[in-house]
Amino acid sequence: MSKRKLTIALAGNANVGKSVIFNHLTGLHQHIGNWPGKTVERAEGTLHFKGYTIDIIDLPGIYSLSTYSLEELVSRKYIVVERPDIVINVVDASVLERNLFFTLQLIELETPLIIALNQMDIAKKKGIEIETEKLEKLLSIPVLSTVAIKGVGISKLLEKAIEIVEKEEKPNPVEIKYGEEVESRIAKLTRMVEEIQFWYPPRYVAIKLLEGDEEISREVQRIAPKIISTAKELATEIEELHSHSCSTVITSERYEIAGCIAREAQKLVPPIKPPIEEKLHNLTTHKTLGYPIMVVLLLLVFYSIFAFGGYTSELLNDFFYNFESFFKGLFGTGVAGELVWGGIIEGIIAGITIALPYITPFYLILGILEDSGYLSRIAFLMDNIMHKIGLHGKAFIPMMLGYGCNVPGILGCRIIETEREKLLAAFVTTLVPCAARTVIILGLVGHYIGIQYALILYVIDLLIIFFLGRLAFKTLPGEPTALIIEMHDYKVPHLKTALKQTWFRVADFIKIALPLIVLGSLAIKLAEVLNLLEPIATVLSPITVMWLGLPAITGITLIFGVLRKELMLIMLATLLGTTNFALVLTPVEMIVFTLVAMFYIPCMATIAVLVNEFGWKKALFITAFEIVFAITIGGVVLRVLTLAV
Amino acid sequence: MERRTKFEGSELPLTALRNGETGIVTSIKAGRGECWGFKRRLMDMGLTPGAEVVVVKSAPFLGPLEVTVRGSRLALGRGMAERILVVRKKGCLREN
Repeated sequence: MSKRKLTIALAGNANVGKSVIFNHLTGLHQHIGNWPGKTVERAEGTLHFKGYTIDIIDLPGIYSLSTYSLEELVSRKYIVVERPDIVINVVDASVLERNLFFTLQLIELETPLIIALNQMDIAKKKGIEIETEKLEKLLSIPVLSTVAIKGVGISKLLEKAIEIVEKEEKPNPVEIKYGEEVESRIAKLTRMVEEIQFWYPPRYVAIKLLEGDEEISREVQRIAPKIISTAKELATEIEELHSHSCSTVITSERYEIAGCIAREAQKLVPPIKPPIEEKLHNLTTHKTLGYPIMVVLLLLVFYSIFAFGGYTSELLNDFFYNFESFFKGLFGTGVAGELVWGGIIEGIIAGITIALPYITPFYLILGILEDSGYLSRIAFLMDNIMHKIGLHGKAFIPMMLGYGCNVPGILGCRIIETEREKLLAAFVTTLVPCAARTVIILGLVGHYIGIQYALILYVIDLLIIFFLGRLAFKTLPGEPTALIIEMHDYKVPHLKTALKQTWFRVADFIKIALPLIVLGSLAIKLAEVLNLLEPIATVLSPITVMWLGLPAITGITLIFGVLRKELMLIMLATLLGTTNFALVLTPVEMIVFTLVAMFYIPCMATIAVLVNEFGWKKALFITAFEIVFAITIGGVVLRVLTLAV
Repeated sequence: MERRTKFEGSELPLTALRNGETGIVTSIKAGRGECWGFKRRLMDMGLTPGAEVVVVKSAPFLGPLEVTVRGSRLALGRGMAERILVVRKKGCLREN
């Protein structure tokens, strides 16, 4: 039997249970990566069903195909250019109207479509019942009800998809008719578009041109500028008739159609009372109670990631160092042995002991928080404060996670919509003192000078974040930010989906970061083996000794700190020949050293994710900026403190 | 024009509504270039002219607004919410 191939794309709003369906379909045969050149996550998987090899693509959760965000652009391009055999539109029954607004756009794209009507249980709780057959009739698209959490209806979806593909029927969904004024102009424009070669359906192009879609306008402009000028004229006519912009008119009318279909298909029944979700929402967004609840929850998250991370990190470390003598025996203690163990193997160990213990629980908890709906409530509560540094509420989450480890913090910036804000949030996150830097702050300043001084350093850090955040906000070009986020009803997260997602994301991270960490580790080891460390320390001494007033050997620790910040303290002890730092460093020196350590460079793993998320140029810029900034502030503080003491 | 007279009362920003009040969206103030993307996003989320919006509450210290529109609950940054113009929807018992 010949293997037949099939590609299915999952599309739909955020939080409709799309990824749960994806996980049911693909099990462990999936891969999470990025869309080429984009920081948008791409989840792909394969399964075998009735003699077919089926590729499943989970498109990002979006509300429209208007290409406002990268996610929308990626999704539309995928559907039109790569042409999946069928698109399964996952629809949230509890917010039918808004979900249908998206469905209508898929219909306009003229792609073969099946609707998976999901979350009927939530709808029922809200007092909404939907007649599946009626919806199917109204849309002329197959509608199948699913309970994704329980896996109900999933195989029916596949059967239907195969049935449609085998029949090779052209999809014949309901015609979406706008008002007469709009419709006549769409028709006129469609006829013009039909004459040119373009990969989007002509009617779709016509509608999008009237809406002023930038991407499509740009491409049509190159082929047939005449069409663009006509579209502009027609759009102006509509604008004059309706006294609203043309895109507003079309969006409104599309929503009217969606609303009309929704009202026809749904029946309002008394809601099942009392909805505990509602009470939970009121409590967690309460103007006074909301904040203590958030603080306690976050501390709990924070603590558990730390506790788990710290414990596992040590365990793994011990485990790996058991092999030290084995490897050294194998490769000898000569230069080669040093390089293999100290360079490559220790690099891998560093990568694994940083990555696994902190990132794994982070991903899991973030996934659970997001899925349950709490993340959007945090954004709601924190929006006001975050606005002060030009970011909106959502950016609070990556920043907070940065206190554990900057790496997941930066990865967490993906939840922010625009590229500009993502970068801004990531930059701010690199300034947050992570666990490793906390070791230095507490171990040096906190232990030898006093805990209150350590706290002062934290406050200074917050001030610097605020100041640099504002500065970056003012200098980066682009639109100001605003929070627009859906606070969907609380729901119990699907643990299996969260676990699987965590696993695949961790694997993805290791693939990206590990090589860089190993490379960095090897370079430093090489410098050590070649006896370059002392000369480097001498080269750095104008900065370390003259400007920062620190012993010359701290230059070496600064180099090692790039690999792992907590190594700085260990190195310092080794190089100074004592763990009692009070004997060899003055309090001022300790403060300056700690300050520099806090800001001077993102560690190797952090640089790796910065490269992965934003490209080499931006990553190097942030790195270079922070080196200069840390050195400057260290020297200034030294002079201020010497004057004051 | 018919579309204008459909809404009674004067236009006010969404932020002027008290908690629990319903407004009908008339327009979103945003020119091309300036906040254009956000206007699109708001409309995609259902805040189109004619849509009913209920202001549920606002976060403390002039924080974002919690609103419900077309059956979904949204958090809207205050700056954005100020650009959404609405007319107040009168209750069923019309008093003058």
